[in-house]
Amino acid sequence: MPVLRNANASTVGQAPHEFLQTGGHDDLSRQTYVSALRMHILNQIGGGMRDVYERRVKPDFKKEQGREPQNQHEVRRAMLKDHYGRTWSSMMRACQEMVWDSVIPVIERAQPDLNDRIHGINARHGSVELNPDVNLPRYLTATDIHIMPGNYYTERTLNDATQAALYDRGVYVYQNGFAGPYCDGIGRSMAEFIKQRFPDLQPRRILDVGCTVGHNTVPFTEVFPDAEVHAVDVAAPNIRYAHARCESLEKPIHFHQMNAENMTFEDNSFDLVLSVIMFHETSRVGLRNILRECHRVLRPGGMTIHCELPRTTDMDIFDAFYIDWDAYYNNEPYYAAYTKTDMKEVMEKAGFNGETYVQDMIPDFYMSSTEEFLAAAVGNKKKDDAHGRWGETVKWTTYSAWK
Amino acid sequence: MTDEIKITPVARGKRPHFFDDPAIDQLMAIVMAMSAELSVVYDRVDTIERLLDAKGTLDRSDIEAFRPDEAIESERTDRRNEYIGRLFRIIREERESIVPHDKMNEYRKIMEEISKT
Repeated sequence: MPVLRNANASTVGQAPHEFLQTGGHDDLSRQTYVSALRMHILNQIGGGMRDVYERRVKPDFKKEQGREPQNQHEVRRAMLKDHYGRTWSSMMRACQEMVWDSVIPVIERAQPDLNDRIHGINARHGSVELNPDVNLPRYLTATDIHIMPGNYYTERTLNDATQAALYDRGVYVYQNGFAGPYCDGIGRSMAEFIKQRFPDLQPRRILDVGCTVGHNTVPFTEVFPDAEVHAVDVAAPNIRYAHARCESLEKPIHFHQMNAENMTFEDNSFDLVLSVIMFHETSRVGLRNILRECHRVLRPGGMTIHCELPRTTDMDIFDAFYIDWDAYYNNEPYYAAYTKTDMKEVMEKAGFNGETYVQDMIPDFYMSSTEEFLAAAVGNKKKDDAHGRWGETVKWTTYSAWK
Repeated sequence: MTDEIKITPVARGKRPHFFDDPAIDQLMAIVMAMSAELSVVYDRVDTIERLLDAKGTLDRSDIEAFRPDEAIESERTDRRNEYIGRLFRIIREERESIVPHDKMNEYRKIMEEISKT
């Protein structure tokens, strides 16, 4: 049994910083409970969904229709008529709501002091640039993404960082520590992978597009300590909080409030441009615009890499249904469109060299052994497990290309 | 109070219901929330007991300030997972019933192996 770097994930707790809010004794207890409950629903109950499909839903469908389900939509409709499918779905949805419910009162009690402290921080390591003229894209405002009340961008007072504080703690509760105490598992996996796979890249300027509160940006300052790291997000609360958090953690990142479809960076000004599970929250048009911008700001010979959901059109239809569930029931309306996207085609249209396009499966750095991680980084490919949710098999799909 | 920030705990976007009667989805949510509160009480009682063991006397602020270390958190994780297992056993029961457990096959295999030696 390989020694996992993060075997005690859920007991170590979220790494503190000056602005993290976990609340009182009972708040912490409630949040930790919700994490455990989510894992149970995902693993113990969700783990039975395929059995139910294979042994009841699919045979019943065949009896009724004279054939097996042919696509994920038929699977979804059939599973959502089944008692087990309904129960699991109802529990998943209720649990997601509990994640936010367990953190909301904590953030409320921490205000307005929290906003005052965030606003008053001195920039000693990185920098922050807010821009009130930035337009919020429609795909962001249409609904509250992953049912976080208030979404990323809601501001209720001047210099408000409330939503980002909610996100910082809420995400940890959701992940049950599987992304590590700093919620940086994906960023860590990507940065370490890039370093091993492309030792000659040695980026001097790195850009994280759609950084939220900077969880996954920080590892790039650690893996590439000589690089200047920039990050953009369209929501002001995210940028305020991300900057404050990084000052507290002493991580030098330059945060900018920008719409990634229209950035103010100069052409050819970065060596590495990345994003972490951001595209599935954008629209088809948004995705294309963002990739065009990534191409523009990247210097010739630079690399772009994006971690995202795998393409479900190539998948077993049950797996596709299971992954796309969030699109229909977890307020992730663009998820299902994203998982049908041909990233190679989109990246080529954005100007990237199609011959350099690679889709990879990176093992999670914290959840895999050193041997497994290095083997994948060096390019020793095996048939991989399906991309999973936090707490299931942990491999991340990345799409990369060079300019 | 203009300084106060209230986060309306409802996400925009229509809430789906999975059962024919949405009341069942509501009951599910209520039961799950209640299960959380019981676990919170267990943790608080656990804190009180450990502090009593350690100190003999107790202040309310001692309880409030108590933070479990890794070892305690690990024990609590085990308790929580057992607790969750007990609460939602009924759901797992259904999953288990759909995958037949045919212990007779295993028994026969063992018997075959033994008879070969």
